Amino acid sequence: MKVTVTTRSGRELIKGQLELNDSATVTDLQEAIHKRTKKYYPSRQRLTLPIKPGSKEKPTVLQSKKSLKEYTDGNIDQLTIVFKDLGPQVSYPILFFWEYLGPLLIYPIFYFFPVYQYLGFKGERVIHPVQTYALYYWCFHYFKRIMETFFVHRFSHATSPLSNVFRNCAYYWSFGAYIAYYVNHPLYTPVTDLQMKIGFGFGILCQVSNLYCHIILRNLRGDGSGGYQIPSGFLFNIVTCANYTTEIYQWLGFNIATQTVAGYVFLFVAAFIMTNWALAKHRRLKRLFDGKEGRPKYPRRWVILPPFL
Amino acid sequence: MGLLSRIYLTIYNWTVFIGWFQVLFIAVKTLIESGHEHVYDAVEKPLLLAQSAAFLEILHGLIGLVRSPITATLPQIGSRLYVTWGILYSFPEVRTHILVSSLVISWGITEVIRYSFFGTKEAFGSAPSFLLWLRYSAFLLLYPTGISSEVGLIYVAMPYMKVSEKYCIRMPNKWNSSFDYFSAAIATLGLYIPGSPFLYSYMLSQRKKALSKTKRE
Repeated sequence: MKVTVTTRSGRELIKGQLELNDSATVTDLQEAIHKRTKKYYPSRQRLTLPIKPGSKEKPTVLQSKKSLKEYTDGNIDQLTIVFKDLGPQVSYPILFFWEYLGPLLIYPIFYFFPVYQYLGFKGERVIHPVQTYALYYWCFHYFKRIMETFFVHRFSHATSPLSNVFRNCAYYWSFGAYIAYYVNHPLYTPVTDLQMKIGFGFGILCQVSNLYCHIILRNLRGDGSGGYQIPSGFLFNIVTCANYTTEIYQWLGFNIATQTVAGYVFLFVAAFIMTNWALAKHRRLKRLFDGKEGRPKYPRRWVILPPFL
Repeated sequence: MGLLSRIYLTIYNWTVFIGWFQVLFIAVKTLIESGHEHVYDAVEKPLLLAQSAAFLEILHGLIGLVRSPITATLPQIGSRLYVTWGILYSFPEVRTHILVSSLVISWGITEVIRYSFFGTKEAFGSAPSFLLWLRYSAFLLLYPTGISSEVGLIYVAMPYMKVSEKYCIRMPNKWNSSFDYFSAAIATLGLYIPGSPFLYSYMLSQRKKALSKTKRE
C-alpha cells in the first residue's frame, strides 16, 4: 500500500510515498512518519482523511488501533493522509505531577519560613492549632493526588500539549500561594474549635471517599481497553461524577475549618470548572446509553452537586 | 418584540446622547471660560449619569438585544466605569488635573458620535454615510488620547490611594481576607498593556468591515 502524507496546506510532508504492508495499522503509519521526519513522534501527530476543498464538514480522524484498510475507499493501493503537528506533548502523569508539586511545596514555605517578616510584618508570630492541622490537611491532599496520578488513575488520552503544563501550573501554584498566604498569616483569626473539627472531619471523610471513587473509576477501565461504561457502585449510584463531588466537598470542609476568602474563591473556580466537565460527561453518557437497539439506558442521576445539580 | 426593542434602543441611545452632549458642551465651555481646574465640577452630574448608563450596554449584549460581543464591551465599559467612579469620583485630589479635560473631551466626542450613529440606525434603519465614517474613524485619534488620559489619571491618583487607604480591607478580620486598592490599581494598569492593543485592533477590524460594506453598496 502506498500512502501520501500531506500537510493541511496540501504540501507533501514526506517526499515521495510511504510503502506500507497491506495489513498495516494506523500505528504503523505513525511510526513510519516518525522514522522519516524524526521530529514528529506518534502522539504529536494528528492524521485525518482529506476533505473536499470548501467543505465545512469535519474531517475523519484516524484511530491508531484501526487498520489502514478501513480508511481506503475501494482503492486499496493508494491512500492520502493529511498530517497536523499537535506541537510538543507531555504524558498526563508528568503534567499532573508538576501541577500538584507546586502547592505541595509552596504551602509549607508560608508555614515554616519567615515569609511575613520579609513582607514587612513585625513582631512574634503565634501559630494557631488550626494552622498546623491545615498544613497537614493540605499536604496530605496534594500528596494523595500525586500518588493517585502514578498508582491509581488510568488515562484515556496518552498525552497533553506542553502549553497545558504552563497554564495548569500557573493556576494551581498561584492559587496555592494565595490561600497559603492567608491561612498562615500572623494576623489570622481562627474559627471556633467546634467549627474547625466539623470542617476537617467532613473534609477527611470526603477525601477518603474521593480515593475510593478513583479506585472505582480505575476498575471501570479494567484492562485498559478504553471505551465508555456506566459508572456504578458507592456514590456513583447517585451521582455521575462522584469523584468531582467529593473533591469539591472536601475543599468545602477545608474552608469551613480555615475560613478564608481566598479558599472560597478557589472553591468556586474549581467547582465551576469541574461542573463544566461533569455536564459534558453526563451528556455523553446519556447519548451513548440511550436505551435503544439493545444499548443499556443511562439511569437517572445527579450530575455533580446533589441536591442542586 | 423586534419593534419594541427598536423603540427601546432608540430611546436609550438618544437619552444617553443628550447626556454626553451636555458633558462635551459644558466641558469645552468651562475649559475656555474658566480653565481646566473647573472642568470636573462642571460636568460631574451628567458625566456620572451618562457613563453609568453604559452599564446597561453590557446587559444589552448579554440578553442578546445588540450583537456586540461581551469580550469587547466589558473591558471598554469596565475601564470607563473604573476611571469615572473609582478614580475621579473617589479621589477629588485629581479632579483639577489637566488630563481630566482631555479625558472628558475624548470620551465626549466619541460618545456623541457613537450614540447619534446608533440612535439614527435604530430609528431609521440606517445612518448617513458621514456618520458611519465618523463612527469608525474618530477612534483612530480619540482612543489613544482617551486611553492615555485614563492611564495618566490612575497614575496621578495612586499616591492618594496609598495615603488615604480608601477601600482597603486589612487583616485581622473574621473572613481572613485583605484588599489593597493601590495594588489593584497597579494590576489594572497592567491590564491596559494587553487590553489597549486588543481593543484598538478590534475597532480596526470593525472599521474595515463597516466601511467596505458601504463601498460595495
